[in-house]
Amino acid sequence: MTRVIELRLARAEGAIVRAIALIERRGFTVTGITTRNDAGSDAMVLRLEVATEDRSYDVLIRQIQKLFDVRSALLLESQPADARAAC
Amino acid sequence: MKGAAALLGALRERGVDTVFGYPGGAIMPVYDALIDSGIRHVLVRHEQAAAFAADGYARVSGRPGVCIATSGPGATNLVTGIANAYLDSVPLIAITGQVATPMMGTDAFQEVDIFGITLPIVKHSFIVRRIEDLPRIIHEAWNIASSGRPGPVLIDLPKNIAAGDAHGATPLVEPQPPAAQVSAVLLDRAAALIAAAERPVIYAGGGIGIGGALRAFREFVAATRIPVISTLKGLGAVPTDEPLFLGMMGMHGTRASNSAVQDSDLLIAVGARFDDRATGKLNGFAPRARIIHLDIDSAEIGKLRHADVALAGDLSASLAALHVRPNIDAWRRHCLELKLQHAWRYDAPGEGIYAPDLLRRLSGASDGELTLTCDVGQHQMWVAQHCLIRSPERHLTSGGLGAMGYGLPAAIGAHYADPTRTAVSVSGDGSIMINIQELATLRRYGLPVKILLIDNRSLGMVRQWQELFFDRRFSEVDLSDNPDFTEVARSFGVDALRIDARGQIGEAIDALLNHPGALLVHCLIDPAANVWPLVPPGHTNATMLEGAMT
Repeated sequence: MTRVIELRLARAEGAIVRAIALIERRGFTVTGITTRNDAGSDAMVLRLEVATEDRSYDVLIRQIQKLFDVRSALLLESQPADARAAC
Repeated sequence: MKGAAALLGALRERGVDTVFGYPGGAIMPVYDALIDSGIRHVLVRHEQAAAFAADGYARVSGRPGVCIATSGPGATNLVTGIANAYLDSVPLIAITGQVATPMMGTDAFQEVDIFGITLPIVKHSFIVRRIEDLPRIIHEAWNIASSGRPGPVLIDLPKNIAAGDAHGATPLVEPQPPAAQVSAVLLDRAAALIAAAERPVIYAGGGIGIGGALRAFREFVAATRIPVISTLKGLGAVPTDEPLFLGMMGMHGTRASNSAVQDSDLLIAVGARFDDRATGKLNGFAPRARIIHLDIDSAEIGKLRHADVALAGDLSASLAALHVRPNIDAWRRHCLELKLQHAWRYDAPGEGIYAPDLLRRLSGASDGELTLTCDVGQHQMWVAQHCLIRSPERHLTSGGLGAMGYGLPAAIGAHYADPTRTAVSVSGDGSIMINIQELATLRRYGLPVKILLIDNRSLGMVRQWQELFFDRRFSEVDLSDNPDFTEVARSFGVDALRIDARGQIGEAIDALLNHPGALLVHCLIDPAANVWPLVPPGHTNATMLEGAMT
């Protein structure tokens, strides 16, 4: 199953790699990434398409939320590929 | 002020008076500043020992331990200690030197990406890019390491930042507010489950000690009178001689604890994470039990076992709201009968030393007042099974990582955290060799740390598994060519004695408790001795193998 996770991260050294590495280490596959600046703040937004066969997305979100540079982590509803490309 | 002085000043402001480390090229500005810092530096003889000593210091003091190493090999030598702190939730600040910022990324001499290497095993990490950020980074690192579920924080410090002049400081960021309290609705739901339970068991984990919830936990046990079992790291949550305590659970747990859990209809997990060594085959663990899971770390709840009631937050506050005494007289009586029926026996045949009996008598003679540190292997399990442990900070063990070599440096750290309490490192002849160089640290600082070296001339736990699960095909476990450990100790300036007969146990215990300085007691045991009981791999905790005492 594939879901989309949206992260708001502080623009801090290592923030992106730390988040992605955690997702992979916890048994998920990252199949797509888009990023943008969060206008008017010191954050950036990552949308990650993430797949797993048997792991819990809810637990993953809570694990991501523990990262110091993560401002928010949301599990989005699955969306069509066109919408993801427009992120 | 130089960056290095700013770093040490910020540590001093947080009350740091002792650090553990080993100097080298990129960290030299910090070592120069240490001279005038008022901070005591303990020179270990391998950086891994610095991390383990800081870990031991933290577990006993309840405050972050600090270790320092240089770049490259110094930093990579810290990695095992950082991972140990991560897996056991120990507050640790690891400071590594780094090549100067213009050299970073050029494969310079002694340059490694320690920030990248340690990403999966730290709670957070920093590369210091500006001198004026140093006080803020120390402030944040301290708060991150010690708040919520504690863990290690790495600070990678380039040499030019440490040696440069500080002009001002960026503002400090105040720590995050404490964890939100659990909702009253959830607490009511948990209380109702407890009240209705017929066969409840309290499953005590390491989070109780780490979270400062010892008093609240003991009040909860006293109020509910529910039988208690614990994980390896939960030992001491109640004193192990508390009548309601059934013993450690899991792979080398007691029959009483594993049986009670398997038969339970309600498991109240407190600061525990359903680790595989504790649960055995997960899908057969406590098959009829509903779960109340209390933990400061919400990510642990539901990770491996669904929680019927999830109480994520401060343990003390939640436990205080759960003082419900269920009507479980028959169940409690059953559990205590199990405990009696499967009580440990110490009447091993022969005249050789039966390690469980030695450990039981040692901890009993001190009335549980020693700080026991362990290495990893059979002796570690015997300590957990047989020693009197009155509180978690008196039993330091590498639980999650299972790192051989932890015990001696952890005992050094424990001594600095509480010099009034005798630290005894219980080790094996495999484990002691991993960090045996720290005998030099005992000698250098005159530390009265004791070592009980239980020697079976083999890597005993691996040998036991090869015997039981690999058709006795013994592969690379024979250590019969060990050095003479008493002579090794003496060559480092540490007193030593050897025992190999049951009649010498009293003399050894007296020496361990009363010898004025460092001492190594080399204890020879039967190489065929195994740890029992044992839940075989891939089985539930209902399957427990037993073997002969030797």
